[in-house]
Amino acid sequence: MQRRSVLKNLAIGVGGLISLPAWASNWTPDSIGNVSIVSFNEEALLGELVETFIPQTDTPGAKSLGVHQFVLRIIRDCYGQSALTTLQQGLGLTDATAQQTYSKGFMECDAAQRKDVLTKLSASTDPVGKPFVDMVKGLTIRGYTNSEFYLVNVQKYVMAPGYYHGCVPVQKIAVNGTR
Amino acid sequence: MAFLNIDSVKERTFDAIVIGSGISGGWAAKELTEGGLRTLVLERGRDVKHITDYPTTMMQPWEFPHGGQLSKEYLDANPIASRCYANREDASHFFVKDAEHPYVQEKPFDWIRGYHVGGKSLMWARGTQRWSQYDFDGPARDGFAVEWPIGYKDIAPWYSHVEKFAGISGNKDGLPQLPDGEFLPPHEQSCVEKHFTEQMAKHYNGTRPIIIGRCAHLTKPQPIHYQQGRAQCQNRSLCQRGCPYGGYFSSNSSTLPWAAKTGKMTLRPDSVVHSIIYDEKKGKASGVRVIDAHTKAVTEYYAKIIFVNAACLNSNLILLNSTSNRFPNGLGNDNGLLGKYVAFHNFRTTISAEYEGFLDTTTEGIRPNSSYIPRFRNVFKQETDFLRGYAAGFGSSRMTSADTSGIGEDLKASLMQPKYGNWRVGSHMMGETIPKEKQLHCFGPESDRSVGHSTATYFGWIRRQRREDDPGFS
Repeated sequence: MQRRSVLKNLAIGVGGLISLPAWASNWTPDSIGNVSIVSFNEEALLGELVETFIPQTDTPGAKSLGVHQFVLRIIRDCYGQSALTTLQQGLGLTDATAQQTYSKGFMECDAAQRKDVLTKLSASTDPVGKPFVDMVKGLTIRGYTNSEFYLVNVQKYVMAPGYYHGCVPVQKIAVNGTR
Repeated sequence: MAFLNIDSVKERTFDAIVIGSGISGGWAAKELTEGGLRTLVLERGRDVKHITDYPTTMMQPWEFPHGGQLSKEYLDANPIASRCYANREDASHFFVKDAEHPYVQEKPFDWIRGYHVGGKSLMWARGTQRWSQYDFDGPARDGFAVEWPIGYKDIAPWYSHVEKFAGISGNKDGLPQLPDGEFLPPHEQSCVEKHFTEQMAKHYNGTRPIIIGRCAHLTKPQPIHYQQGRAQCQNRSLCQRGCPYGGYFSSNSSTLPWAAKTGKMTLRPDSVVHSIIYDEKKGKASGVRVIDAHTKAVTEYYAKIIFVNAACLNSNLILLNSTSNRFPNGLGNDNGLLGKYVAFHNFRTTISAEYEGFLDTTTEGIRPNSSYIPRFRNVFKQETDFLRGYAAGFGSSRMTSADTSGIGEDLKASLMQPKYGNWRVGSHMMGETIPKEKQLHCFGPESDRSVGHSTATYFGWIRRQRREDDPGFS
């Protein structure tokens, strides 16, 4: 009898969830769309930058998870004007450094060359170089580790675990894959 | 014409009026309607219906555009509201924005508010520890503030009544300074919290016990909770979004739907109470003046019973606004005490540390609770140079992290294999402050009748209480 009322109550819960306001269910990363604080080309460049930090292997890289969009969103909405300036100048500096070193744009460089350009930027005497690399790298890591792919597959995130155990062997976690 | 007026007055007359729909207003509504009284519940803010008006409640972490972070625009516009730990991207729609109801701060004072049906019962921290007789004894013992006219034995049956209905999880610890209640099964302490508990017991000869916190979560719902339409807490710890299961207690999930089910409740959102009407002939409060939050139209409602549940400051404001020939300085304010002797919670000290032991263990699942260090200072006798005491939360967890020094495939390989670090422990204190006349909230005249502009002045702080935790603080 009690079980039946649990089920009934859960059903009420699910019924309620279906009637969420439209803006709530529409509010997903896909629907937020492009973030136009940089040009289309610059956005593409940033896509290759985040991909250089975390490349595609047998698992997705940062670009295919849209991490460059996250980076732009955070800089636009959560950081100040100076961060935006660092981003814009840094993107220019990235291409300039690639031109200087390899006589071609960053987009045309291969993976090893791109890594080299970022390492050079980090050690650059240009005051924008290191802050730019640090900011984009930090946000790339944050965006990647906050992605659905990472949270579900690596962190084994479960929204509603339904339990808490205060003391379990670490090995058990590795096997069960639940944190 | 006169006939119509009489009908209109009749329609606006109830057995009881409850001002506010937060935790206490919800309870008043439940008790009054259960008692058969036709009850009008007035809420200054918008309606928030259980489940349907929790827009973010089922959102996954990766669905938030900024990963939970509030925008710079919001932070710049809301220095006060954004200081509440629970106000993040998933819940900021429940917090009153600074510009919605501004006030003057001569000294810093964070007035965190939720102007909507349910009030702060939606965003509260859900800790529900009982007071003991020692807490009631404070003023009589040290002479500060007014002696309590009631004691623990008067309130204990009411505690039980509320706990059974709300659903309180906890362990029967048998502590005189923190009486046991009507508990659902407790949450578990982590191994590090258990270890700390044991060490403290050894170190302080049992004078500083640590327990699992008592909290308003349905760890094992009873028939009374199912009857409310609530289900077991699913350990999401996303409570500030509103809980679709009703896993924690809120007015929205519990008392208000219960009151509505009696058919005796009329809930009126967007109804800002301006003042209480005082009937000079009868010598009694007879109703309330309500301003419609949108149209600003004023309507009067009448009842013999009026409960003022508008939280601390707005309850004072309503009474101060309620002037009459008999009470020129506010209803019941012959002594001039309204708006004075406001006491605060001192919760400014936090501490965190790492623990190097128990490296072969961790936690599993999510716990919407923490361990709790009941007040141990000046409980049984005055023993320090400050008055009263403080309790503290105590939590622990083991996080994973990764070396992020590399770039490219090295960095990725490291991120894909996060390693457990040390256990991290953290504590935050909650201190009782003594109400002083100087802690004055003087409310200025309202420039806009729909929103009371108030001047909040806050002097004094129990500095010594904090100094005990933080020797660098003076």
